[in-house]
Amino acid sequence: MNRVGLQDRSAAGSLRVGRVMRIAAVAILILLLCVPLLPGTNDASLFTLTLMLTAVGVAVNWNLTGGFTGYVDFGHAVWFGIGAYTTAILMSLQSNGPQIGWSAPPAIALGALVAGLLAAVIGRATMRLKGPYFSIAMLGTFVAVREIVRVWGGLTGGGVGLTLPPYLNRPLFYYLELGLVAVLVAFTWWLRGTRLGAALVAIREDEIGAEMRGIDTTRLKVMVFSFAGFSTGLFGALWAYQNTFVDPDIAFVEVRTVDAVMGTMLGGLGTVAGPVIGTALLFWLRELLWSHLLDYHLIAQGILLIVIVLFLPRGIMGRFDSRGASAMAIWRRRERRRASACEHSTETRRDGRGGS
Amino acid sequence: MATLLEARGLVKRFGGLTAVDGVDISVAHGEIVGLIGPNGSGKTTLFDCLSRVIGIDSGSIEFEGTDITRLRPHEVARLGLSRTFQIIRVYRDLTVSENMELSIRWSSVGAAGLFRRTDRATRRRVTDLLEFLQIAHCRHERAGDLSGGQRRLLEIGMALMSEPKLLLLDESTSGVNPTLVTGIADRLRAVNAEEGVAILLVEHNVGFVVDLCERVVVLDRGAKLAEGPPQRIMEIPAVIEAYFGAEGGGGE
Repeated sequence: MNRVGLQDRSAAGSLRVGRVMRIAAVAILILLLCVPLLPGTNDASLFTLTLMLTAVGVAVNWNLTGGFTGYVDFGHAVWFGIGAYTTAILMSLQSNGPQIGWSAPPAIALGALVAGLLAAVIGRATMRLKGPYFSIAMLGTFVAVREIVRVWGGLTGGGVGLTLPPYLNRPLFYYLELGLVAVLVAFTWWLRGTRLGAALVAIREDEIGAEMRGIDTTRLKVMVFSFAGFSTGLFGALWAYQNTFVDPDIAFVEVRTVDAVMGTMLGGLGTVAGPVIGTALLFWLRELLWSHLLDYHLIAQGILLIVIVLFLPRGIMGRFDSRGASAMAIWRRRERRRASACEHSTETRRDGRGGS
Repeated sequence: MATLLEARGLVKRFGGLTAVDGVDISVAHGEIVGLIGPNGSGKTTLFDCLSRVIGIDSGSIEFEGTDITRLRPHEVARLGLSRTFQIIRVYRDLTVSENMELSIRWSSVGAAGLFRRTDRATRRRVTDLLEFLQIAHCRHERAGDLSGGQRRLLEIGMALMSEPKLLLLDESTSGVNPTLVTGIADRLRAVNAEEGVAILLVEHNVGFVVDLCERVVVLDRGAKLAEGPPQRIMEIPAVIEAYFGAEGGGGE
């Protein structure tokens, strides 16, 4: 009876934590929806917030392969750059580049689609590699694509870059990105509960074991990698449009991947809320450091990464397990199991059936 | 009985070491076969070859008449060959229930099924199997938090979840409480009798093998040394020498 009671309390604790997190998420979403209406909000602050949402979106996508599936992608920003450049090429009307002149919606959609398709092709090859080999292959892909963009001047404008027709409606971009991030987080939460989500975690935990249980690991890995490429490409396409200019050094930036990795690690690898909390916190910290310690902000960022790895290896959300249970609930479950094991061994000895 | 699994002339080399050397092995529908041999005799490597975890250098493997020699492990699993591992493979970060739910027969899950949650029938089967294996009370625990014996039982449960035609069990009683070993034998016998699941098992526990198996295959240094009913096999001098040492002796 006592054990059942403990289990009930632990389950109730998990539910409470889950409910609190859901309420907090809705409250934050409502607050973010109100931001453009607040007095004192200007285009500059909205642009900064939009950039933060972009970073959060990229981190949520990175977490699908890096966190859930366990394939740490060091070249994830390549999909951002491809989405941005495809959109820029399709919308460009400048004399030293292509003169296609599409309107924004189809150009942005195609930007995301091209990124997703290329991710499917490249993922098919690179996702056969394991551990650091995959990470390095993706870093190589990132560098190779950036240099191709740089030298293919006729299409990409080369090192000079491309200018897009300006459309500076900051609130629209802000709401678009906020909506995208909200949908993406909801999708990740839903995915985690499906067989596909569980299979991805199984791949991370033990790929050979998953394969032996009948899971077509290659197909699922490539599927989720392509989706992450598509989605990050979409954020890249939107960024290009609101930035009105792309060149290889700002569209293909390693730091974008580093931010996604650091933000997800800080928040909690393989968790739904982790990349959101971690990346938002990291972005805010960087803004703070940037404004107060311009010369030292990169050093501070490096130290922060070391601190995360040393003292918070499972991130902020790592304090909760995959079902939202708090550390206390996890501890209670362990205690219950130990008590149960002791009880079993006592019974065994009493019955004279003692094992070795 | 019709043949379920048939492997002919299997050879697996690791550099200069021939781990499996021209082994022929077959399992009929509903049969329980034991695979024994001293450490390093190639039992686990043979299991890895049969389940396609590793490739083979020569030979052929057929499962229900289908050539599986070049198939990938998940394709073999979907045909109905399920296995456990010498070093336990469970998903440590998932709960016991989640581990079981992930071990369904994936061949019956279409593209749309990937995006669904676990259905009621699967949950019922999970409950039944966990009760059958006496670990139902651990269903909400992380698999990584279980004891070694409980993890073994969970792995057997995971292998049974996919409703296999053939179960390859690699030292599945190792680390399990002796009282539970008898229980496992009873359960395997029940699975075999009631669901018609054929079993090929690697074991060092000779009593377990003699008790459970209709036929035993003995491996030594990668090659097949003997094959036959367990009682007769245990009387062959070459088997006694290879398995128990020159002096002979009791089981482990």
